Amino acid sequence: MSWAETFRVVWRARRVTEPLASGDGVPAGPPELVGSLQVRHVDAGSCNGCELEIASAFGPVYDAERFGTRLVASPRHADGVLVTGPVTQNMVVPLVKTVEATPHPRVVIAVGDCARDCGVFRGGYGVVGAVGDVVAVDVSIPGCPPEPTAIIEALRSITRR
Amino acid sequence: MTAGALVISGALAGLGAGVAGATVAARRRVTVAAILVWAACGLEAAAALHVLATRHPIVLHVAELLPLTGIDLVLTPLGAFFVLLVAMVAVPATMHGIGYAPHGLDSRMAASAVPIFVTVLLLVPAAGSVATFMVLWELMALTSLSLVLVDHGRREAARSAGTWYAVITHVGAALILIAFLILAAHAGGQSFAVLRLHARHLAPDVRALAFVLALVGFGSKAGVVPFHVWLPKAHPEAPSPVSALMSGAMVALGVYGIVLVGDVLLGGGPVWWWLIVLALGAASALFGSLHAASSTDLKRLLAYSTTDNVGLALLALGASGLFDATRHPMLAALGLVATLVLLLNHAAFKGALFLSAGSVQTAAGTRDLDQLGGLLRRMPQTGALFLVAAAAICALPPLNGFIGEWLLFQSLLHGADIGSTAGEVAIPLAVAAMALTAGLTVVAFVKAAGIGFLGRPRSGGADAATEVPATMRIGVGLLVGVCVVLGVVPTLVLPAVERAVRTALPGVGPLSLAHGVTLQLAGLRGVLEPAALAGATVIAVASVTGLRRVLARRPVPRVAEAWGCGRQLQTARMQYTATSFAEPVQRVFDDVLRPVQDLDISHVAESRYFVESATFRSVVDDSIERGLYRPVIGVVRRWGRAARRLQPGSVHRYLAYGLGALVLVLLALAVLG
Repeated sequence: MSWAETFRVVWRARRVTEPLASGDGVPAGPPELVGSLQVRHVDAGSCNGCELEIASAFGPVYDAERFGTRLVASPRHADGVLVTGPVTQNMVVPLVKTVEATPHPRVVIAVGDCARDCGVFRGGYGVVGAVGDVVAVDVSIPGCPPEPTAIIEALRSITRR
Repeated sequence: MTAGALVISGALAGLGAGVAGATVAARRRVTVAAILVWAACGLEAAAALHVLATRHPIVLHVAELLPLTGIDLVLTPLGAFFVLLVAMVAVPATMHGIGYAPHGLDSRMAASAVPIFVTVLLLVPAAGSVATFMVLWELMALTSLSLVLVDHGRREAARSAGTWYAVITHVGAALILIAFLILAAHAGGQSFAVLRLHARHLAPDVRALAFVLALVGFGSKAGVVPFHVWLPKAHPEAPSPVSALMSGAMVALGVYGIVLVGDVLLGGGPVWWWLIVLALGAASALFGSLHAASSTDLKRLLAYSTTDNVGLALLALGASGLFDATRHPMLAALGLVATLVLLLNHAAFKGALFLSAGSVQTAAGTRDLDQLGGLLRRMPQTGALFLVAAAAICALPPLNGFIGEWLLFQSLLHGADIGSTAGEVAIPLAVAAMALTAGLTVVAFVKAAGIGFLGRPRSGGADAATEVPATMRIGVGLLVGVCVVLGVVPTLVLPAVERAVRTALPGVGPLSLAHGVTLQLAGLRGVLEPAALAGATVIAVASVTGLRRVLARRPVPRVAEAWGCGRQLQTARMQYTATSFAEPVQRVFDDVLRPVQDLDISHVAESRYFVESATFRSVVDDSIERGLYRPVIGVVRRWGRAARRLQPGSVHRYLAYGLGALVLVLLALAVLG
């Protein structure tokens, strides 16, 4: 693709990423994480709606990596854990172990209504509780599922970029 | 006291230790015998040092001991070097044996056989005539055989190992005897001095026959491919102090025998002799290291590694002979120095490794690496000593293995243009074989140390292991200390090695390897500063650990569980095993190792798509044993079975055989006479 062609595509599309909201204010997480946040995602029992939104947030349209956040493959590489879904019985130990395996300083971000208060799964036979019942949560994102902009806003509240 | 008296009193102390082992009360028997063995080793070592210092051999003749010929002892500088080598292994091995005794070394038989074995090992390099040598050689075979069989009542494997060892070692001894008899028949005497004098005037084919017979005979003792099959059977079955003696000292005497016949008695030979030695050495090194890399039994791994190390020594010896045959005396001497240093190093680290394998076996109750693990935390001192010895055998710099391989590399690399086409083709191949061997050795010992000592215990025995008694740790520690000293200041022993080499190659000018703490090859490019290397290593390690400490101060490190993908259950079964660690090597060298693998899958009755149970079995047995020895054993068995038909138990038929034979003889006489 020549540069003229690229320009034409951008011109026609008008907008290649969603607009920036303001990145000012007091960081919601530890000050060490300002500017750069590596997160490990844990699905603690989600319906996968939140996963789609996270994928979208880190996709080319919303491009969360612009703001210094990045999804990584291991909690050993991470500064934070992104938890979705109500915590089911089978995921209690893996969730605790993953958070425990993340080095300090770290943040735990609960994504979606289920992660905040079990949502529609409240009282389900396999559900132990919300993420906050199992590990200490620093930031939570409401919505069922939360929009990519909401996720990015929460991540930017930590990175402040 | 004269030097000869030292030799005699050393031998008497050793025999006294044997008697003490058989007579003293059970509780103190092994300790008393060990103390007397140390006295024997000390006296013989003093005699050896005297010989090396004065360069005059000790000559003794005891007419009363052996009918017709008497006992001739001639301790040359070459022999003295091997006496020191044996003493260096024997003292720690018997020290370790005190702690090991309750695990199968405290019977009267074992307690007296060990000292006699050590005494004979000390005397073999001092033998000065064919009769003396063969008597001592056989005594060495018999005492070690009785020690391999210590556990015969409980373990079938020990009986089988004993049979293999007995057959191979006796066939080897027969070949050695034939070689000596050929030389003696032409010399008209049986002392080595006479043999040496007359061997130079023999016909080339007679000399070659004697050399090849001796090479096969001594090679079978040294565990050279394809005569190595007894090693991985006998070493694991023998009690560990005995394995250390057999692997460290006895196997080295096999190489001593080849040097004795090839260099000392025959005074060198044509290029093709030494090409055979070189090829056998390269084959042994590769085959041994490959099997060591794929073995899961710790002592079997060490036994194969012995074949590997002896192969390297033979590689150096072959190169030395090659250089001698092409008139490069300096290179020949350097090659022989490398041979002796490799054997000395091997005695030190392999002794230490076999002894620590014994410690592991007594503590954990098994020597199967797939059942071990986590021992470094449970046996910190034994574990640390094992790690140092493993680093030494991998030829890591501040330790002795590196010095030996450096010398070998130097002698091979400087021999690139020696004026013999075959040699010039063989030397680069030897370098390549050596490089591959070095890599495979690292695989084998990363496996032994990593799977055995790190991680989590894979069995209850390994979990319950505790540190072994002090005597066992001191025994291993002494040999590891030797590894460190030989690695940092090899110049302590190199003058002695040079004097030993002069016995075999008398026409060599000054080699002057040792200049203070520097290793310098006279007339060749090649300088090594082992002490500086050790200093640099210490500084590097200290600065890295110090840096880590400085960095770790802030913030305070937090101890967390090992990351296992958040699994609910983390068990020892999820670790790498010795088998899985060796799998890639096994796969690459499939054609050489030829593992036997079975996969049995049984399906659920309702549907073939569902598996009810799956069994996988993979065995790496010795392909040479399977391909070379089993067919021969099969043929012998068939002949035996066929011969049984001649013996149906009927006296009449036996009488008929006698009559028939008589008639045949008479007929033959009538026709021919």
